Amino acid sequence: MIVSPRQRSMRVGQYSLLCLYMLFLAFPLLWMLSVSFKGPQELVQLHPHVFPSQPTFGNYTDALEHNGLLHAAWNSFKVSSITAILAVFVAVPAAYVLARQQGLISKAGMGWILLSQMFPLILIIMPLFLVLKDLHAINTHIGLIATYLVWTLPFSLWMLQSYVRGIPPQLEEAAMVDGAGRLTILRTIIAPLLGPGIVVVALFVFVQCWNEFFFALVLLDSPNLQTLSLLLARFVGIEGIVRLGPLAASALLATIPSLLIFAFIQRFLTRGLLAGAVKG
Amino acid sequence: MKKLLRAAVAVALCAALGAASAQARPSTHKGVVNLTLATYVWQPTTVAAMNGIVNSWNKTHPSIQVSIVPVDVNSVHDKLLTSFVGGSSADIVHDEAADIPSFTQAGYLANMNSLIPASLKAEIPKTLWNTVNFGRKYGITGVPIMTQTYNVFANMDLLKSAGIKAPTSTNPWTWAQFRAAAKKLTSNGNFGVCWGLKSPTATIQTLGLNWGAQWNYLQKGKWNLVVGAPEQKILTTMHDMIYSDQSVDPAGVGLSGSAVLPEFFAGKCAMTVQGNYQAQGMITQSPKGFNWAMFPVLKGDTENQAADPQTLSIATQSQHKAEAMQFIAYALNNSNMAKLSAGDWLIPASADAAKLVVKSTNHYGSWRNAISAVPDLVKANWEALVPYAQWKAQIATPAFRSYLSNQLSLQDLITQLVNGWNQIRG
Repeated sequence: MIVSPRQRSMRVGQYSLLCLYMLFLAFPLLWMLSVSFKGPQELVQLHPHVFPSQPTFGNYTDALEHNGLLHAAWNSFKVSSITAILAVFVAVPAAYVLARQQGLISKAGMGWILLSQMFPLILIIMPLFLVLKDLHAINTHIGLIATYLVWTLPFSLWMLQSYVRGIPPQLEEAAMVDGAGRLTILRTIIAPLLGPGIVVVALFVFVQCWNEFFFALVLLDSPNLQTLSLLLARFVGIEGIVRLGPLAASALLATIPSLLIFAFIQRFLTRGLLAGAVKG
Repeated sequence: MKKLLRAAVAVALCAALGAASAQARPSTHKGVVNLTLATYVWQPTTVAAMNGIVNSWNKTHPSIQVSIVPVDVNSVHDKLLTSFVGGSSADIVHDEAADIPSFTQAGYLANMNSLIPASLKAEIPKTLWNTVNFGRKYGITGVPIMTQTYNVFANMDLLKSAGIKAPTSTNPWTWAQFRAAAKKLTSNGNFGVCWGLKSPTATIQTLGLNWGAQWNYLQKGKWNLVVGAPEQKILTTMHDMIYSDQSVDPAGVGLSGSAVLPEFFAGKCAMTVQGNYQAQGMITQSPKGFNWAMFPVLKGDTENQAADPQTLSIATQSQHKAEAMQFIAYALNNSNMAKLSAGDWLIPASADAAKLVVKSTNHYGSWRNAISAVPDLVKANWEALVPYAQWKAQIATPAFRSYLSNQLSLQDLITQLVNGWNQIRG
């Protein structure tokens, strides 16, 4: 294939722009990486440099040894992964029903799901707190998981039901002809076909819970139960004073699990997003 | 996919077991009183001091065990309010004098009048007790721990080279002297003062007390906001320093106190006005050999500043108020109070604790200057008013910021402040 000089220069321009855009996107992460290796004096330089002049692991030591980062990360992982799995188990059959049943209840259910997304958190936190208190679930991970589950379910349902609609009903009809019931169809036909959608939903729920701050702030007291978002907030003090070095080191370490999970299930995610985008 | 799902379920089950076993409260043994202490200490030094105090108490008092509930320093009010309303408050709560009036009036904080030991009462000056005393109906609902002032920090090398003599606690700078020094130090693109005024309300109001500005006055049974001559004095002084003298860097109006430190450390400005706790930042962040000092509080007609001490209170919900008070008295004995204050560079409420801090520090001069402010701390009227917090956040802070950015005239500022107050107070 012959490439003209004009096309070649166009291609070079495109790649240059792409590189600049990627640098723009990655810059906050690079800056965080740079800050995490800087000592306290270097952090308040008037003209900061990207490369630390005297790199130090002090911020990482501080984050890991003195601030319980690993324990908080384990708490976050535990809460986020359990919520993600429970959300999938609840959302798959519910989404199947919502997508396939066209009655009034189904429509009202979808309306309620949309409506429930419109309540600000601050409005529900006090009643939620009282309910959980009556259930002795305040200051427990079980209470937090239940809250996250309820909080993430509407969007999960909304997403999954659009995936279910993308599956041709003829597949189910064929199975019914062969004598399969609804549960068998859900387990053997719908669930496997929903794989990419399930991954997307699980990932969405996991990331939401991993980053969530407000519910954890209100519902958890004990230092042993605190999640990463609570721990990171403790690096920010009064009147804008921030322990920037340890915060950057902790935040960087905190992003690693999300990055790994994304890397691991990226292919499912791409397939899932495409599957959700086009209705069959 | 199936493998992935199975693995995920296995992880979930393991984690569920862990979650189920993670219980909030320590187990209660027979005859042992378990107390919780909700505290927002956040500087590593103060966290270590608080942990040390609690650990030593627990070792020496096996029948009363205390556990710490950490609270995010920027969400203290919300966290406490939720736990009070939900009936799950900690027994002992760490807050500040300006934040406890609403909790007191709602009945969430216990009257500590009869619980406070006489020795503790005698150690803390009356001016600080006044900030936590809500009269006959509610009594004293907090014990002051430590307080802060706003001070001038200076780059001593720049002052020396300009031939400016540093003030002393017996001979503090007046505002006129401060302005003159700031003007003299402004040259070649450098400013005399860097002043982070992103959240200016507390600074403006407390420094206004130098001229007796109380902002809120009881008139015909109502707390009104009045921006009279004393209040206008601090406003016009700050505004003039920025725009007439041009000795204060206008860029600082949009920055937090700590955000102007790079300029200060780089010698781009010779002085900065900060909360005295910023001394800790000077120690940990200033470049090697940087010669800094914290000056005594500035003097207008007086050196008065608002006393807004951090406090320890007992929740009304607590079933063990006497035991909670025992712990508070222990945590705030002179030695422990000195440890807490030294960590945060805040001024201890007790004069004897202050002496201990001065004895134990390398920054003798600055600490002595910090502590010299205690007799000039007064209770400000606004601290006890319930609508104050809302007015401060919604009206005062944006209006003061607009005025200091030269986007609002003094008259318009006064109108906004007064109308806003009337609207919120109702």
